[in-house]
Amino acid sequence: MRRIATIAAGLLVAAVALYFVPQLLHSLFAQSSVSYLSLLTNIITLGVLALSWDILARTGQLSLAHAAFYGAGGYATAMLVRHAEVPLWMGIPLGGIVAGLLALLIGPVTLRLHGIYFAIATLSFTEVLRAVVQQLPSNIAGGAPGLNIPALFRPTFVAGEMERWEIAFQRNESYFLVYAGLLLFTILLSIFVQKTRLRFAFTSVRTNQEVASVMGVRPARTKLLAFILSSVPVGLLGAVEAHRLGSVNPFETFGVGTTVLALVTPIFGGLYTTAGPLIGATVLSGIEEVLRRNISDGYLIVYGVVLVVAVLFMPRGLLGLIDRLRTRTRRAQPPAAPAPQVKEAP
Amino acid sequence: MNALELDSLSTGYGKIQILWDVSLAVPEGAFATIIGANGAGKTTLLRAISGLLPTWSGSVRGLGSPLTRRSPARIVRGGVGHVPEGRQLFPAMTVKENLDSGADYLPQAKQLARETREHVYELFPRLAERSDQLAGTLSGGEQQMLAIGRALMSKPRLLLVDEPSLGLSPALTKTVFRALAQINREGVTVVLVEQNVRQSLKLANIAFVLETGKVTAQGTGAELLANDSIRRAYLAI
Repeated sequence: MRRIATIAAGLLVAAVALYFVPQLLHSLFAQSSVSYLSLLTNIITLGVLALSWDILARTGQLSLAHAAFYGAGGYATAMLVRHAEVPLWMGIPLGGIVAGLLALLIGPVTLRLHGIYFAIATLSFTEVLRAVVQQLPSNIAGGAPGLNIPALFRPTFVAGEMERWEIAFQRNESYFLVYAGLLLFTILLSIFVQKTRLRFAFTSVRTNQEVASVMGVRPARTKLLAFILSSVPVGLLGAVEAHRLGSVNPFETFGVGTTVLALVTPIFGGLYTTAGPLIGATVLSGIEEVLRRNISDGYLIVYGVVLVVAVLFMPRGLLGLIDRLRTRTRRAQPPAAPAPQVKEAP
Repeated sequence: MNALELDSLSTGYGKIQILWDVSLAVPEGAFATIIGANGAGKTTLLRAISGLLPTWSGSVRGLGSPLTRRSPARIVRGGVGHVPEGRQLFPAMTVKENLDSGADYLPQAKQLARETREHVYELFPRLAERSDQLAGTLSGGEQQMLAIGRALMSKPRLLLVDEPSLGLSPALTKTVFRALAQINREGVTVVLVEQNVRQSLKLANIAFVLETGKVTAQGTGAELLANDSIRRAYLAI
């Protein structure tokens, strides 16, 4: 019980802190705070992708279906809002539910496969889903051009009372708060998996399915649960992003980039933890931003080199590196020498 | 009544058959030992009983109900515990967490987890001392105790133990065997698979010899220990 209280308190503090971030940036950086908020939103996007991907990875399954769930969430929201006149705010949770149902549907078939076979199956699933969405009659899913979807927030400009950039700030601030909520939800899921008996189930299914079985764990069900838990946050993210970007289309919404980022980031940060994927997201977004500002052409090449070097020299990600450094400094410190015994001169 | 009954059980991996028409019966409350050389099929036999390996033909009955074609999870719930070969613990988790993991997924055992854990600590005081230590930092003998303890957490009435003496010193082996005898006295039927023939046969009130996938001899532990050909083959006398 005390553990639950600690976690709840931690998340509450995080929520309050995140709530005040935009105002803090506003008072510190004025106009620049608009782009800082965008950067933070990008970090959160990457963090949600990475952390939700990691939840499934904890059972040893390497998924390439993140773009599918992201797209499913985005398209579900867009279609529901456009055709069923579902209120904007209802569309987002429905996007998450659709992604979860999709995982429930394809999980039993694909999760029998391991390693590269599961990866290929989930990648094909993404492509099939994209093709289906594109081929649907255009009055349903919009065909190749996709669908437009209204923004969640429309701050109004009051002439004389605010600067022009403040509209952008208000818009970014509102979205930031929604993304921050989504991030906290994903962290909550991750901690839930880590602090309950699911931790043994996930770990044993990954490291030794046989032991999992004789412990009474049902590997198939455990992996399916992980698949669903991992897909819901991405579905929600896809839905929110659809609103922020203003439209969905088969090529970008189901883009393979989403899948790649979702798996690269946790590997870079440190797998099977809550902190690893989040640290990975922060550092990678930071690196990308710096590179993009300083190298106008081909910054992605440098970014790629950074990733390759990282994988080569940090096999356990940033967290692994931090661990190693910590033990090294601990060893380097000489043990506290006992106070020298000074014999009193007679 | 028999706690375990195999009726002409055959199984293997892929196309390679390992067990050939194995039939044996272990009465309830017995301490059964199965001895055999490397590759005789001892581990395969235990894996087939606990559902980790599908049977090709024949049948398995455990604790009065058919186990053939049941999932491992159901078999554990039915009261068949399995201590796998090579311990297979969670090295990065504590002794206590490892123990609890044995009961966490079994609703009935979970309700009794606290008492069962105390009981395991009585059986292996060493584990009680190291309750909060990471399993990966334990010695080989302690890890074996923990593996047995984890299986006990599921409240088994039939316990399958796969080569617990592997890599242990003779003194530690004795400790582990003594604990198994104690578990047996408390009413759990034990099926022990071993290469340490002398000590494991001493404990057994029923014993089987497995050679290249077939049962070639059976009797009480003492009978097999007195058997000349077994002494020559397994005790190098």
